[in-house]
Amino acid sequence: MASTPARSTQPAGRREMMFCHECHDEWYRDEKGIICPECQSEFTEIIEDDNDPRDNFERAHDDDSEDDFEDSLPSLEEASASHHPLHHHNPWAEVDDPDEADISSMRFQPTGPGRFHVQATIHRTISPAQFGVGGTGANSMGAFQSLLANLIQGAQPPHTPRDGLETDGQSESRPGGDEAPRFTRFTYSSNAHLHPRDDNHPEPRNEPVDDINGVMNGLFQLLGETPGVHHAGPGQSPFGDIPPNPLMGLFAAISGGQHGDAVYSQEALDRIVSQLMEQTATSNAPGPASQEDIDALPRKLISEDMLGAEHRAECSICMDEVNIGEEVTELPCKHWFHHHCVAAWLSEHNTCPHCRKGIKGEETSSNAQQDGNRGSAATSGSDPTSSMPGAFGATSEGVSNNPNSNPAPGQDGGSGGPGLGDRLRRGWFGSQQD
Amino acid sequence: MSAGAKKRIMREYGECLADTPPGMKINFDEQNMTKWEVLLDGPDQSYYAGGHFKLEINFPNEYPFKPPVVAFKTKIYHPNVSNDDKGSMCLGLLRPDEWKPPNKVVAVLRLIQTLLIEPNIDDAIEPSIANEYKENRKEFEKSAKDWVKRYAK
Repeated sequence: MASTPARSTQPAGRREMMFCHECHDEWYRDEKGIICPECQSEFTEIIEDDNDPRDNFERAHDDDSEDDFEDSLPSLEEASASHHPLHHHNPWAEVDDPDEADISSMRFQPTGPGRFHVQATIHRTISPAQFGVGGTGANSMGAFQSLLANLIQGAQPPHTPRDGLETDGQSESRPGGDEAPRFTRFTYSSNAHLHPRDDNHPEPRNEPVDDINGVMNGLFQLLGETPGVHHAGPGQSPFGDIPPNPLMGLFAAISGGQHGDAVYSQEALDRIVSQLMEQTATSNAPGPASQEDIDALPRKLISEDMLGAEHRAECSICMDEVNIGEEVTELPCKHWFHHHCVAAWLSEHNTCPHCRKGIKGEETSSNAQQDGNRGSAATSGSDPTSSMPGAFGATSEGVSNNPNSNPAPGQDGGSGGPGLGDRLRRGWFGSQQD
Repeated sequence: MSAGAKKRIMREYGECLADTPPGMKINFDEQNMTKWEVLLDGPDQSYYAGGHFKLEINFPNEYPFKPPVVAFKTKIYHPNVSNDDKGSMCLGLLRPDEWKPPNKVVAVLRLIQTLLIEPNIDDAIEPSIANEYKENRKEFEKSAKDWVKRYAK
């Protein structure tokens, strides 16, 4: 900002100039002293070449009083015109007002009460050398863009002419070789807020005109597509092997690509927890049984003693009635089903569809027997109907699965999912619920 | 969907017809038998008494190996029903990892009725409603009845 042209310079003869922070008056120290002659304030400062208090004031003042799109078009200030290599061709070179010179097309579109949408394309010709020192620029967005350009260029062999970088018309950058001027086209669109202006009073700071998602998306687009990098020969540049987007990995790691998934309420968080639990629920479920294990299961013919109380029984998977003499497949837990019915289930889970006992029969037979009887009304292990799924009424199923019975988490190996869920919930919401 | 699955759904519908739990009506479309519409009266002993709730039961292609999907089409203020346009329920035997093929729709319907009478706050999909049910039953009752008046008449 030291080179800002529209500024009264130090007078000859090194007279010290004073600046009042209260009323922004300026005067010569040898004429009126160090107390402000206007407002009598003592909050004054000597203006020096390397310390000009007007800089701060004017910058803050600029932000408030310039047009809003000045804020949304930060790259306009990224380079001062005096460094322009084609400086003498540019009739606007001395004017630090890029509004007309550089904006080739500008659309101004009201989007609602108090809001508008500005889209503009800026053409700037910048010497690459400036990008190196651009970091000292007062305009942070300008410096930031220089940084981006450096990154993109750094991943690029500097001597290789490259194709234009195009991201669906949003931004375009065409750096040439080291010595050639850079041509940067940068389209920046923003939603800004209009406020009534009052030149005589300080105005409140504007709200940020962009939310972070928009900015991030823009950055991803700018960084995400840098064609031509992979064509770089190995000998051409020490940077030839650097992956095209040095920042992408970092950004991806920070945001996980999901900066849109921020949650702001307990409900939203819980929904995500539920979603995660649903996703992991299937991974908690037992894996599929091998075809050999399925084939190795014993077949059995339905006999009189396998029928239920009403002398009928059904395969509890297809609910078809089975008759005496029909062939069924029996699991180690003594539950039986049509072979094709149970095979369909076992190809997904290696447990009994009814009692969730493993089908390998690794448990002792007494255990299997006990578990086979669990949930049935029968108490005697020798009662043949107790192990017959077809004999179980819907009522007993409803009762045994009633969530109000609320089995302790982890009690049953098969209910690992809800147990985990309970623990998660308690861990996260316990303080509010207890 | 396999022929076996369709057959089973038909069978279950037959069973439900023969033994529909009280306060329930099932609309069954033979053209689209995987989507049942259930009209459920709020149980008398519940906060939802007097309300008429429309539910949708969708049978997945893998039925009965995967659980049916239950959704309240009528808005209901309940800890176990999601408070959004889906009105989904996912607990107990409806959970994918707890479902087993021998379970029947009629058991699902009974579970829903039971939950209307007594919500399961330990397995809530809406923790804030569950918390209110636990901490401030009066307020919960007010909201639940208010929603019945507003949405379930």
